[in-house]
Amino acid sequence: MLTVSVKWQKEVFPAVEIDTSQPPLVFKCQLYALTGVTPERQKIMVKGGLLKDDADWNALGLKEGQRLMMMGTVDEIVKAPENNPVFLEDLPEEEQAASMGHTAGLFNLGNTCYMNSTVQCLHSVPELKLALQKYTYSGRSSDLDPSSHLLTVATRDLFGELDRSARAVAPMQFWMVLRKKYPQFAQQHNGLFMQQDAEECWTQLIYTLSQSLKSPDSSESMKSLFGIELTSKIRCAESGEESLETELVYSLKCHISHEVNHLHEGLKHGLKSELEKVSPVLGRSAVYLKESRINTLPNYLTIQFVRFFWKRESNQKAKILRKVNYPIELDVLDFCSDELREKLKEPRQILRDQENTKFGLKKGNQSDSKDKDVEMSNAEVSLSTSCESSNSNAAGAMDIQKQAQFTGIYDLVAVLTHKGRSADSGHYVAWVKQENGKWIEFDDENPIPQREEDITKLSGGGDWHMAYICMYKARTIVTP
Amino acid sequence: MAPAQNGHVEQPAPPKVPSKDPKKTKDEKKEEDLSEEDLALKQQLELYVERVQDVDPGVQKLALESMRQEIRTATSSMTSVPKPLKFLRPHYGTLKAYYETMEDSDVKNYLADILSVLALTMSAEGERESLKFRLLGSKGDIGSWGHEYVRNHAGEIAQEYQKRQMEEAHVDDLMDLVQQIVSFHVKHNAEPEAVDLLMEVEELDMLTDHIDATNYKRTCLYLTSFASYVPGPDDMLVLDIAYSIYTKFGEYTNALRVALCMHNLQYVKAIFTACVDPLQKKQLCYILARQGVTLELDDEMTNGNEEQRELLQEIINNIKLSEGFLTLARDLEIMESKSPEDIYKAHLIDGRASAGASVDSARQNLAGTFVNAFVNAGFGQDKLMTAATESSSGGNTGNWLFKNKEHGKASAVASLGLILLWDVDAGLTQIDKYFSSNDNHAIAGALLAVGIVNCGIQNECDPAYALLAEYVSKDESNIRIGAIMGLGLAYAGSQKEEVLRLLSPILTDSKVPIDVIAFTAISLGLIYVGSCNDEVAQSIIIALMERSDSELGEPLTRFLCLGLGLLYLGKQEKVDATLEVAKTFNEKISRYCQVTLESCAYAGTGNVLKVQSLLGLCAEHLEKGESHQAPAVIGIAMVAMAEELGLEMAIRSLEHLLQYGEQNIRRSVPLALGLLSISNPKVNVMDTLSRLSHDTDSEVAMAATLALGLIGAGTNNARIAGMLRNLSSYYYKDPSLLFCVRIAQGLVHLGKGLLTLNPYHSDRFLLSHSALAGIITLLHSCLDMKSIILGKYHYVLYFLVLAMQPRMLLTVDENLKPLSIPVRVGQAVDVVGQAGRPKTITGFQTHTTPVLLATGDRAELATEKYIPLSSVLEGFVILKENPDYQHDNRTS
Repeated sequence: MLTVSVKWQKEVFPAVEIDTSQPPLVFKCQLYALTGVTPERQKIMVKGGLLKDDADWNALGLKEGQRLMMMGTVDEIVKAPENNPVFLEDLPEEEQAASMGHTAGLFNLGNTCYMNSTVQCLHSVPELKLALQKYTYSGRSSDLDPSSHLLTVATRDLFGELDRSARAVAPMQFWMVLRKKYPQFAQQHNGLFMQQDAEECWTQLIYTLSQSLKSPDSSESMKSLFGIELTSKIRCAESGEESLETELVYSLKCHISHEVNHLHEGLKHGLKSELEKVSPVLGRSAVYLKESRINTLPNYLTIQFVRFFWKRESNQKAKILRKVNYPIELDVLDFCSDELREKLKEPRQILRDQENTKFGLKKGNQSDSKDKDVEMSNAEVSLSTSCESSNSNAAGAMDIQKQAQFTGIYDLVAVLTHKGRSADSGHYVAWVKQENGKWIEFDDENPIPQREEDITKLSGGGDWHMAYICMYKARTIVTP
Repeated sequence: MAPAQNGHVEQPAPPKVPSKDPKKTKDEKKEEDLSEEDLALKQQLELYVERVQDVDPGVQKLALESMRQEIRTATSSMTSVPKPLKFLRPHYGTLKAYYETMEDSDVKNYLADILSVLALTMSAEGERESLKFRLLGSKGDIGSWGHEYVRNHAGEIAQEYQKRQMEEAHVDDLMDLVQQIVSFHVKHNAEPEAVDLLMEVEELDMLTDHIDATNYKRTCLYLTSFASYVPGPDDMLVLDIAYSIYTKFGEYTNALRVALCMHNLQYVKAIFTACVDPLQKKQLCYILARQGVTLELDDEMTNGNEEQRELLQEIINNIKLSEGFLTLARDLEIMESKSPEDIYKAHLIDGRASAGASVDSARQNLAGTFVNAFVNAGFGQDKLMTAATESSSGGNTGNWLFKNKEHGKASAVASLGLILLWDVDAGLTQIDKYFSSNDNHAIAGALLAVGIVNCGIQNECDPAYALLAEYVSKDESNIRIGAIMGLGLAYAGSQKEEVLRLLSPILTDSKVPIDVIAFTAISLGLIYVGSCNDEVAQSIIIALMERSDSELGEPLTRFLCLGLGLLYLGKQEKVDATLEVAKTFNEKISRYCQVTLESCAYAGTGNVLKVQSLLGLCAEHLEKGESHQAPAVIGIAMVAMAEELGLEMAIRSLEHLLQYGEQNIRRSVPLALGLLSISNPKVNVMDTLSRLSHDTDSEVAMAATLALGLIGAGTNNARIAGMLRNLSSYYYKDPSLLFCVRIAQGLVHLGKGLLTLNPYHSDRFLLSHSALAGIITLLHSCLDMKSIILGKYHYVLYFLVLAMQPRMLLTVDENLKPLSIPVRVGQAVDVVGQAGRPKTITGFQTHTTPVLLATGDRAELATEKYIPLSSVLEGFVILKENPDYQHDNRTS
C-alpha cells in the first residue's frame, strides 16, 4: 500500500491509497469516484509517460507521498458540426463572386470605358436583367432587325456573365455587336478605336432594348422602366395660341447655365425651351415657348447633365465644368403635371406617415407601444416588401392585388461620371449602389468600394470625376 | 570619461609643444611682456638650473628641492601649461645632458623625477621619456605630481608594455608602477581608467586587491558594460573579474547576472551555496526563472532545508508566472477578453469597409485565430476558443474550431495553449477534450497546445513529456509534427535527455517525410540550444547528408540547417568543426547551411568582423540562384543586436542593402530590421518598414508588414496600429498580404500590450537564448513566406511563444505576495563611468507597482521604506523592509 497525492485541475486529493497488488485500473476507478472522470479518459502522469492500465506498480518506482498529476475532463468530446462550414476558398468562382458583395468589373478593350460604365449602370437594374432573361428569339423576328436582336442577346449574355464571374469580364462579343449595330462607335483614329460619348451609347442601347423588349404583356417593358411621358404646353407669346403635345422620353436633361447650381434648377431649365416655328395664325415663323411637365413616372429616372456642347471653333465637344449638386434623394413633384400631382398625393402621405412612425413617433409613444409596434412592424414589412417587389426574386409581386405606387420620390442608384475635358476623351467610370446598399466604383476591371458621402462629391467644379448621367430609382409604396 | 568603446582606451595625449627654434625666439621676444612676478620666477628657475649643475651635491639637492617645490605649488588652468614648466622648458635639454654625466646618487634620482615631470610636456611623441625617467627616479608617490602626470604615465605604460611584449622583455618594473597608478585611480574615483590600464597590461586580476565596498559597484558596472566590446575570450575574463568582485562583496544578484551572462552553471551553483539569506535566494531563483535556466537545486545549494528547496524550485520552475501575470492584468484592469474585431477596428477605416462578405474565408478566420491567440495570450480566457466551453451549452462547443479549415484547426486548438500560457493546470484541463477528437488536425493542435502551455514552465510531474511522447511515433505526419514541435517548445533550453532519446532516431530514419524531420531538427535545436551537443549535431548532419537532392530543395530543409545552427547559438568558434563538415554538404544547401551556422554561432556577440563578412556576402552578385544571402542578412541582425552602437550601425548598413542590394536581399532586410528593433518601435525603423510595406514586390511588402508587427510586439503602439489599419484597407483584396497585416496587428497587441518579445532583459544585459532561438526560427521561416506561413505550416508562428515574457515590474513582499509601492519609471540613462552619483532615469513618472516597463525603461523605488533585493528592477522583485526607515510625519 502506498499513499500518494493526486493533483487534478486545481484540486489536490491529498491521500489516495494505491494498492500496488492490483493493476492501475483499480487506482483509476478510485479516481473516477473522486473526480467523475471515466478511467479511459484519465491521463495520469508518471515518470516516463502515462500510466498504462496494465503497468506494473513496482516498475514505476513510486514513492510514499509522491504527487501524481491527472488530466482528464468530463466535458463532451468536441464533435464536428453535421454540415461542414463552407469557406470562400472552397467555392467555385461564381459563388465567390456572390460573396464578394458586388459583381465583376469589365476589361477595357481599348477606349471602351464609355461602354463599360454604361453597361455597369444598366446592369444594376434588376428588372432589366429579368426582362432580358425572358427574352427569346421566337416571335420577334418580324419587326426587329437582326442586329438589334444580336445586341439584345449580347446584352443578356454579358449581364449573365457579370453576375456569375468573380473576375473581370471581357465584353468582347457585346462590343462587336454594338459596333455593328451602331457604326459610329467603330470610328478609328490612328488604327485605334476612339473614345466615344457615353450618353450616346446609353441612349442607343436603351433605344435598342426598348425596341427588342417591347411586349404588351410584360410589365417590365422598357417604357415602364425608363420611359417618361411628358406633356408639353406650347404657347406662342405673340399670337397667344396654345397647343398640347405629349412625348415619350427616356431621360430628363439637366441644362447647365450660369444660374444653375443644383440639379433641381437644371431640370427646370431643361423642361422649358423656346422654339421657332411657323405660326398658322401669324403666317410667319414666331417664337414659341414650350413648357413640359411629367405625366407618367418611370421606375428608373435617368437624368443627363448636359455638360457637353459642340464648340465650333475647336471642332469638338467641349465640357462645362460647372459644379451642379445633386441629391441622394430626389423629389420630382415640382415637375409633374397637375393630374399626376393629384395622383401622388395619397401615396406621399402614406410614405410620410410610415417614415414618421419609423423615426419621429418612436420616441414619443413608448407607453402604448403594443399595437403601435404591431403597426410599425406592419409598416416596415410593407416597406421592405415594396423594396423587394422591385427585386428580381419577387417578380410576381406586380401581378398581385397589391400595387406599387409611385411617390415622386427617387433614390440615387447609379452615377456615370466623366473625367477629362471633352466627351471624346478622358475617362468614364460607373458608381453603382449594390443590393446590399454599398457603393462600388467600377473603374473598368476594378470594382472599388466607396462611401455614400463620396458619391455626392462627384458634382463637378474641378478636374475630379463629375456626374454625367444619374440614375434614380423610384421609391414606391404598396397599398392594398 | 565616457565609456570606453573597445577596451583600448585612448590615453589623453600628453600636451606637447614642439621644441623648435622659431618657437624659442618667439618665447624670447615675449620675455619683455612678462610681468614682474613672472620675470622673477623665470630668473629664479634659471638660477636653479644653474645650481643643479653645481659641483656641490648639497647645492644641487637644494636647487632640485626648490625646483620641485615650484612645480608642485604651481597652479594653472586646464588649458595652459603651468608657468614653472613653461619656463623650464628651454633648459630641459641642458638638464638631460647634465643628468647623463652625473654619477648615481640620491641627487641623480631626484633630478630624474624632475626630468620625468618635465618630459610630460617636452619629450617627443613615442619617446616615452617621462616613463623612462620615472623608472630611473626615486619612485616616490606618483600621485604627488598630479592627475595629468599619472594619466600620462598610464598611456606610456600601455605603449611600453606592448613594445616589451613584442621584444619579450620583462615587465616587472612596469608592474610596480601599474600598482601605484591603479591604486591612485581607484582612490580618486577613476575606476574606469584603472580598469583600462589593467586591461592594457593584461593584469585585470590585480583589480580585486584595490576594490573596496565604496567603489566596487562602479567598477563592476564598467567591467560588465565594456565586456561586450571586448573580443573573446578576453570578455569572459572581464566578466570573471566582475563576478569575483560581486561575490566578494556579497552582491549575489549581480554575481548571478554575470554568471548567467557567462553561461557558467558552476558559478550559479557556487552563488547558491555562498548565499545564506533565504530571501535573497528566492530573488536569485526569480532571476534564474526569467532567464529560463533549468536548475535542479540540491541539498548543498539549499543548505539542506527541504521545505525551502521545494519553494525555491517552484520559483525556478516558473510555476507562479501565470499568477503574477494575471495580478498585473487585474491591476491594470484589462482582464476583459478582446476579439479580433476589437483589434482590427474596421470602423476607423475610411470607406473601404470590407464589403460584408457573407461566406467565411478560411484564411481570414485563420488570421483571426492567431490574432485572438496573440491578443489574449496568457489571460486564460478569450471570446473564441474558451468562451464557447464556458457557456456549457454543449452544442456551442468548438464552434470557432470548425470555422477553420483542415490544418487551420491545428492552429486553432493550439491557440488554446497560447491563451492559457503558463497556466499548466487550467490549460491541460481545457486542452484535454481535443485529445479524444476524431480529427487528426485537432489532435495535432492539442499536442502543440500542451507544448505551448508548458513553455518555460517545468512541472515536477512533467506532463508535456508524458502526454506527447507516445504521439511522436504515430503514422500521421501532422500529429507527429504537433507532438515534436510541442516537445521542442516545452523543453526549449532544458537539454532533456529523454526527449533526445525519443527524437534522435527520427532524424536518422530515411523513411520519415522531410517535414517531420525538419520539425524534429528544430525541436532538438531548441532543446539543446547553445549546448554544442555533439550527438544532436551528428544526427542532423546525417539527416542532411542522406536526404535526396529533391528533398533538400524543399523549403522546410532550412529548418535542418537552422536546427544545427541553434546548437551553437552564441558559442562562437566552437562551431568551426561543424562548419567544416557543412562545406561537404550537397551544394544546394552547403552555403546556406554555412551562413546559418556562422550567424547563429556569433548571434548576440556583436562581433564586428562577422558583421563585415556577412555584409560582404550580400555584396556578391549571384548567378546560380543560390539562397544563402537571405540568412546572411538576418545573420547581420543576429550578430549586431548585442549592443546599442552596433545595432545602430547595422540598421544603417541595412538601409544601404535596401538601396543597392538585389531583390532576394531586399526581401529579408525587413525581417532583419524586425529583429534588431523587436518590441522596440523605433521611429526610424518604423518609417522604413512602413515605406517597404507598400513595396511593389509583394514578398518585401509581406516581410515588412510582419516586421512592423515584430517591432511593435506587445507595445500597443498607436502609430503602428494606425499604419496596419491603413494597410488592411490598402490590401483588402490581397488575401496573403491581408493575412500578414492581421498577424502583425495581433502581434502589436500581444497580450493586450503586457508582453514583450525582446530576448534581452535585466537591463539589456542578459540574452535569453531560447527566446532568440524562437524568434530566428520564425524569421527563417519567413524567408519563404508562401510555402511555410501562408502554406500549411502557419503554426510556426507559435515559435514566438518562446520569446514571450511579461514586461512588468511586480514587487512582492517577503512572503512573495504582491506589494504595491510607488516606483519611478523613466527612460534609462547610461551612467557607466560617470562621476558621482548620476541619475539613472530621466523623464520619469511615478506609478504604483505592478507597472509596465517598455524597452529602454528603467524603474527605481520612490520610497525608502523598502529595499529591493535585486539591483535591476524587472520582473519579480522581492522587497524587504528598510530597517533604517523612519516614517516621515511631515508628509502625513
